[in-house]
Amino acid sequence: MFNSIEKLMVLIPSLPLAATFVTAILGKRWLKERSHWPALVCIFAAFLVSLRLLSLVADESTRPGVAGFERTVSLGNWVVVEDAIKVDGVTRDFAVDIALRSDPLTAIMLSMVTFVATLVVVYASGYMHGDSGYWRFFTYVSLFVFSMTMLVSVSNFLLLYVFWEAVGVCSYLLIGFWFEKPEAAAAGKKAFLVNRIGDFGFAIGIFLIFVTYGTLNFHNTAGSAGEPTVIGILGPERLAANDYVAGIIGTAIPLLLFVGACGKSAQFPLHVWLPDAMEGPTPVSALIHAATMVTAGVYMVTRCTPLYAMSDIALITVSSIGGFTALLAGLIALTQTDLKRVMAYSTVSQLGYMFLGLGTGLLGGVTGAMFHLFTHAFFKALLFLGAGSVMHAMHHVIDMRRFSGLRHIMPWTHWTFWAGCLALAGVFPFAGFFSKDMILGAVHDKAHDHAAAFHFGYSLLYYSGLFTAFLTAFYTFRALFLTFFGPLKTPAEAHHPHESPRSMTVPLAILAVCAFLVGWVGELWHGYTLLWHTPSLTAGAVAETASPLLTAHRGLTMHFDVAAMSTVVALAGIGLAAFMYLGKKTEAEQVAEFTSTRRGLWGYKLSLNKFYFDEIYQALFVLPLRGLAALSYLVDRYVIDAFVNFCGWVPRSVGLLLRSLQTGMVQFYAMAMVLGMLVLLGSLRLANLFGNS
Amino acid sequence: MMLTAVALSTIDKLALVACFLLGLGLWMLLPRGSSRGKAFGLVLTTVSLGLFAVRLWPLDDMVSDIVFYIMTAVTLVSAIGAVTMQSPVYCAIWFALTLLGTAGLFFFQGAQFLGVATIVVYAGAILVTFLFVLMLCNPEGHSLYDRLSWEAGLSAGTGALMTILLTWTAASVTFADARGNTVGPTIAVREEAPATIPFQSSKDAQGRNILAAQHVEKLGIELFTKHLLAVEVAGTLLLVALVGAVAIVAHGRTSGMPVITEEARRDA
Amino acid sequence: MPDAHAVSEVHLLQNYLLIGGLLFVIGLVGFLSRRNMIVMFLSAEMMLQGVSVSLVGWGRFHNDWGGQMLVIFILTVAACEAAIALALIQMLFQRGGNLDVALWQRLREDNQPAYVDREIPEDYDPKQIFPTLTPAGIDPKIREEETIHRTHV
Repeated sequence: MFNSIEKLMVLIPSLPLAATFVTAILGKRWLKERSHWPALVCIFAAFLVSLRLLSLVADESTRPGVAGFERTVSLGNWVVVEDAIKVDGVTRDFAVDIALRSDPLTAIMLSMVTFVATLVVVYASGYMHGDSGYWRFFTYVSLFVFSMTMLVSVSNFLLLYVFWEAVGVCSYLLIGFWFEKPEAAAAGKKAFLVNRIGDFGFAIGIFLIFVTYGTLNFHNTAGSAGEPTVIGILGPERLAANDYVAGIIGTAIPLLLFVGACGKSAQFPLHVWLPDAMEGPTPVSALIHAATMVTAGVYMVTRCTPLYAMSDIALITVSSIGGFTALLAGLIALTQTDLKRVMAYSTVSQLGYMFLGLGTGLLGGVTGAMFHLFTHAFFKALLFLGAGSVMHAMHHVIDMRRFSGLRHIMPWTHWTFWAGCLALAGVFPFAGFFSKDMILGAVHDKAHDHAAAFHFGYSLLYYSGLFTAFLTAFYTFRALFLTFFGPLKTPAEAHHPHESPRSMTVPLAILAVCAFLVGWVGELWHGYTLLWHTPSLTAGAVAETASPLLTAHRGLTMHFDVAAMSTVVALAGIGLAAFMYLGKKTEAEQVAEFTSTRRGLWGYKLSLNKFYFDEIYQALFVLPLRGLAALSYLVDRYVIDAFVNFCGWVPRSVGLLLRSLQTGMVQFYAMAMVLGMLVLLGSLRLANLFGNS
Repeated sequence: MMLTAVALSTIDKLALVACFLLGLGLWMLLPRGSSRGKAFGLVLTTVSLGLFAVRLWPLDDMVSDIVFYIMTAVTLVSAIGAVTMQSPVYCAIWFALTLLGTAGLFFFQGAQFLGVATIVVYAGAILVTFLFVLMLCNPEGHSLYDRLSWEAGLSAGTGALMTILLTWTAASVTFADARGNTVGPTIAVREEAPATIPFQSSKDAQGRNILAAQHVEKLGIELFTKHLLAVEVAGTLLLVALVGAVAIVAHGRTSGMPVITEEARRDA
Repeated sequence: MPDAHAVSEVHLLQNYLLIGGLLFVIGLVGFLSRRNMIVMFLSAEMMLQGVSVSLVGWGRFHNDWGGQMLVIFILTVAACEAAIALALIQMLFQRGGNLDVALWQRLREDNQPAYVDREIPEDYDPKQIFPTLTPAGIDPKIREEETIHRTHV
């Protein structure tokens, strides 16, 4: 069984689904404090199965003479509408296969998701201990893991959309996990509503794909009786011929899909929900809002690389939005005092990096983005779990101004946090260094390719990326120094500040090791070249720029100049942070000094208030909509209700008149009948009298 | 045969007077809390019935006439008695007399089975059930509500109006014979109409009245062939009514039913 | 001249229609004005009798069994009706203590005035004894507290 890729592909999502049902049905009554076991066992099993799948896929795809590898297993039809549309004079069915696909991209994503999820479940079993919604938490987490594994393995745009929404629902449920807190409920609502805007674009993009290509399947599907095979969006024939639409439609499709990615991956201008999502339990922040779900947008854009490669405008847009978001989020993160919010903005910033890489349209950029996604999942989960550990010890206080010097009491958290910070800052030899370097290298290549469109734009983006790397190093170490260095200070709420239990520190340690190792796996051993066996990543326009790499089948060449630059920049950021926060001056004094000048105050306020995005959106969208709602309410209340009430009032007044007939005396009713009969008989007689004579 | 109802050119004034008198008499006879005027009411209704009797058509022979008038008188007089008596027991007994009169009228029409059935089923069974209920309820003779009526004048007036309409309608029943002559009481019979054509007869080719010969047998055949389904439905209805009546009484038992106690049993 | 026999059949029919109509109207007046539920019910039966007389008359006139058939079914339905109605009356009597239909006028609308007797007969004497049927069964023992609110026993 474990040698069949098809069976493994089905098994991976079914395990967390089984855990969901078991926990949901048995959790409240029987499992109670043991509710984490089904999730733990099933997700860990899913991780082992994913590893097996990865090794099988790797074996299959590195066989000599095999350029790419993919395998699709169809579980049946969801929808079949015959002759739904006519594309290029050929009628096409609207058919949605419930099909799972397996290629290196999916296999890597599956392994990463299940691995992080396993650690987070272990961590959460300690973190959530004693919570009244213990079983509910693990039900949601299992459901999320199911949806996420399905999201990365489905082979159809509509199903992709379905599970895209499913992870959104899980995210909503988990952000609002403590729904008694009004902030948590509001944050859940905000995340859901902001995502709606993105999903709107995504949906229109899918419609456009269907009317353009006549299918939504990634893979080739056998036509109904007597008709030719329908070539899927990512079908091998289409990839080989690079048969993709260009022009306006070819630009509109990737841009609309990117709107969806912006919503899910928190890119400008839809980034506002992610920081608020930190109201959820910290393990959720680590799993969903740092490592996995938010990268769904990156995954989707990567999956659709051939579509993006058709349009330079789409590519530069993706890069610009990514680069701008990275810079913006980095600037905001500088002044935040909430440890988790710093991490949230850092996530937004790093996701921006990934889109920056994807937008280059180069094989190196796409690989770099996926590589960064992979490494980021580890070190960002590590940082969030570390922040959660601090929160756990500080009794849910997360304001960095209220504690310091925690390295004395929380050694494990401290040292693992170091590993995460170094990785995030991009310091050699931690994971972030390699992946960030690969992205910057790709942007650098694009900027220096004078034949490429918008190369000047890419060079701007390159410098902004470098500056963002500086900011990243600075705010990361600011958080580290403020939390763990300086004199020991704990808030009053924390009665017995202590190191977290073993169930929380062990995942931290594992992740710290990963944060160190995964970069080496990718860079020095060219692990990421496995990705190149994903047919859709190395075809068409992408392949044109990467053919030497592919034929040589070696890794990307290291950009030593870029690497040196980014290392210098990162070290500069760390040095500045150390200078500012390891000195004698406190944070408050630093801020006071900085804000003493007018421009400093202005900049500080801008950053602290997140560039006033929430306020701008409030004024631009929320208030006009509220006004419209109030107007609709008035119309409803005084026009429609009034009409309805009038309709009710008429029979009521008529009834009031007729009431006087209801005397309750049987004879009265009988008399009414007799009178009626008299009238009938009399009119009959009179009609005869006047009608016949 | 085609029936048409042709209007009277003038409404029979005699019948009109009889209708009004009947209404007035009934109003006076109805219990109204006082016994004054009852004798006058009796006179008025008698006059009214007399006028109606004049209004009736004489039949073929003297004996038939006498029997018919007696039956009619018994029926109507006892009917007036049944609705005007104060004591419900008297009402029931007068009603029994009405039923006897009706049965006689049925016999007169050749409906022997119906006449017997009316006596057996109506007078014998239904009316006895009434008396049973009266006995169970045991009303105290002339209780207040038996001595008062609800809007006696209005009811009697409505009755008079209804009588006028019904009399008028009954009197307008005419039919046309095969030659198109209208046959009826109010239209002059045309002179040129042939006298020999029997236009309607209840006698068969042998001159026997088909309703009379082997009456019950034919009735039975008719009932159990043509109307078999209706008979079944009626049987079901009877069963449902039986069950329903038992259910109603059984439910009503829970409240206020006089209970024979152990003490009462000992006393007896 | 029309057939003499035919003419006499028409006259017979008209006579019967008149008698049936009068019976119907007398029953109607009784139903409308009497307040004793049993008497009301008797009046309703009388109306049925009026209809039956007319139907038999029509049946003879048409030389057809239909009229008599209908009367047979009327008889059946009247029997059912009697069973149900008497059961109801019996139950209402047990609930209300007398047979006055005005006792059950609570079906009226809320704001309607209740029907009340406008005049009380001047010779009304509750002690007056009228002939009644002999009650059947064991005479139940009279309880003092019950005589307060029960109108008889």
